[in-house]
Amino acid sequence: MSRIIDSSLEGLLSTLNKMGGMAYNAVSKALLECLDGREAYNEIREISDHLLTMTDYVEDRTFELIVRYQPVASDLRRIKSYMKIAYDLARFGRYALDISFTNKKLERLKNCEEWIKIYIKEMGEKVLDMIKLSIEALKNSDAQLARNISEKENEVDKMHLEFLDKLIKSETTTRCAISSILIIRYLERIADHAAYICESIIYIATGQKEVLR
Amino acid sequence: MVKFDIQNLNAWFGSKHVLKNINMKIEENTVTAIIGPSGCGKTTLLRCLNRMHELIPGARVSGKVIFNGVNIYDNSVDPVMVRRKIGMVFQKPNPFPMMSIYDNVAVGLKLNGIRDKRVLDAAVKRSLELANLWDEVKDELNKSGASLSGGQQQRLCIARALAVEPEVLLMDEPCSALDPISTAKIEELIRKLAKDYTIIIVTHNVQQAARVSDFTAFLYLGELIEYGPTRQIFENPQNELTERYLTGKFG
Amino acid sequence: MDYHKLRFIKDRLMQSLVYLSLILAFIPLFSIIYEVFVRGVSAINVDFFIKPTPTVGEVGGGVANAIQGTLITIGLASLIGVPVGLMSGIFLSEYSESRLSMIIRFLHDVLGGVPSIVIGVFAYALITRSIGFSVTAAAFALAVIMIPIVTRTTEEALKLVPMSIREAAIALGIPRWKVTITIALSSARKAIITGILLSIARIAGESAPILVSMGFWRWWFAGLNRPVANLALNIFIFAMSPFKNWVTLAWGSALILIIMVLIISVLARITLTRG
Repeated sequence: MSRIIDSSLEGLLSTLNKMGGMAYNAVSKALLECLDGREAYNEIREISDHLLTMTDYVEDRTFELIVRYQPVASDLRRIKSYMKIAYDLARFGRYALDISFTNKKLERLKNCEEWIKIYIKEMGEKVLDMIKLSIEALKNSDAQLARNISEKENEVDKMHLEFLDKLIKSETTTRCAISSILIIRYLERIADHAAYICESIIYIATGQKEVLR
Repeated sequence: MVKFDIQNLNAWFGSKHVLKNINMKIEENTVTAIIGPSGCGKTTLLRCLNRMHELIPGARVSGKVIFNGVNIYDNSVDPVMVRRKIGMVFQKPNPFPMMSIYDNVAVGLKLNGIRDKRVLDAAVKRSLELANLWDEVKDELNKSGASLSGGQQQRLCIARALAVEPEVLLMDEPCSALDPISTAKIEELIRKLAKDYTIIIVTHNVQQAARVSDFTAFLYLGELIEYGPTRQIFENPQNELTERYLTGKFG
Repeated sequence: MDYHKLRFIKDRLMQSLVYLSLILAFIPLFSIIYEVFVRGVSAINVDFFIKPTPTVGEVGGGVANAIQGTLITIGLASLIGVPVGLMSGIFLSEYSESRLSMIIRFLHDVLGGVPSIVIGVFAYALITRSIGFSVTAAAFALAVIMIPIVTRTTEEALKLVPMSIREAAIALGIPRWKVTITIALSSARKAIITGILLSIARIAGESAPILVSMGFWRWWFAGLNRPVANLALNIFIFAMSPFKNWVTLAWGSALILIIMVLIISVLARITLTRG
């Protein structure tokens, strides 16, 4: 049975979907920028700003739904989670922008060791996968799918620590060191937020608060 | 402390089985809301708690309702005494028509033999104060009960029920005939009374249950589907049926 | 256009017919009142109210003793009829589904249809035969006429008390019988009193049963085992007599009787609407 609130909930979901696509785009572009120099700061900036505006919109809409419908049970959990997820998606954009800014100021890993670039590439791919996974799980509030992110999150954490170890032992330049640490750090944060999104999805579906990190 | 221990309660209207094996425990000094779609048996359940269900011709009850350690359906128990300890307020305010406000509140005591005017005066004042009605009517206690507004009449009925000093107050959709402001006043009153009384309220308005109760019981087709703390029922109901009812997915 | 006019004419026609019927219906009432008033008013003087029935040939006189007698008779009848009627009415409304109630209701309906003269004969057989023509016998007959009326009105009035009122009282822990006697009865007060008043108005005008069970009496109250004078009966006796002053007194009595009944009916109406 279709209820009045259903169309609003579907609308919100589709907005989040759009935001997800944009966020994926931004992070993707930022990574490409690192690895093969395609300058994209302004584009990424635009996407990030847009994401922030959309977060405000989602927050506003969820508030309206609460005012109008006094939702309870799964509806209430969904609305609360949508607000959080919008924020998490906007963070993706923000971190993508931070990566791009780092690239701009610190010359995009020019002349840095290969192994650094490889780490960033691999971690970047994993992180993009996680973003994709979280958006996919969101579509149907699929808790099972959402739990899969736990594994990936662990891998990213491992890579992060490994990288730090290797960096300390290496003789790389200060510029490369700072630049790569920052980028790896931002990627790690993106992974965290993707995990948060999946935790929210599990909360919508089951009402339980599971930790996936 | 458990105020009501309901064990395997079943109720019938003739051959129609309207309550099926209800088992629940109600704590002292809490507000418990009973929700569910029309015809699910919520009012019947309420009326089984003060032995009013059996007054209907053809009605039957089986099972136990243990109140203060005693099964109220035991043969040795006088239903009249049960009803003095367990008061009831009805859906449509029903003050006694030919009586003044004072008489309405005092009637329960008077008919139980209390004649002393000072005792009656004090009891009337106390009950009306408890029901948040004293200030509005203290200068016109001799006015007819029917001259009050709907919300005031309902509070008068609450005062009348409280005057005989029950331990429990059963409320059958007390606000459904009232406007939103009167409803809010009664809900406020319920929260205030919860400190000293055990209150069980039947409501078809789930929002009201969420606002006012500590525990919520969901009934469907005579069965108790789910019963738990209100916060939990409304945030994360365990039963699929409860979830569907609360979110309006019922036909 | 035509249909509109036709309908208008029909409407006016019906209206006029209805008003005409109304007037026709009132003509008997007003003519009675007029006649009685005009002929009876000449009998009204101070004597009328303080002098007893005049003897044959005596000039003047009044109906003071008849007024006294009528009041006593009605009073006695009510003393028996009202409590019995009330209690029957309460019983019938409380146990209305039981077989006994069905039987009682049926009997009351039958009793209500019995001609008052027959009831008078019954009172004669039961009471007059043992203690003689007396006000007791008359009061008994009138009580028997009253009872079905009071029973029916009481039962109906109690039935009208909404279940919600009774439930509220029961929920307070008041035993059922108390609920009926106090709450229900007081809620139905107006209707019950109206019923009682109307039954009194009814028996005030009875003459046949009084004639049979008590007979004509010219003097003041003389004991429960003797008759008393009665206004309605007096009208019967005096109107057919050859004495002019008796005839005048008859008209006067008729006037008083009508006024009495009128007052009771008005009281009943007031009770019903303003209680």
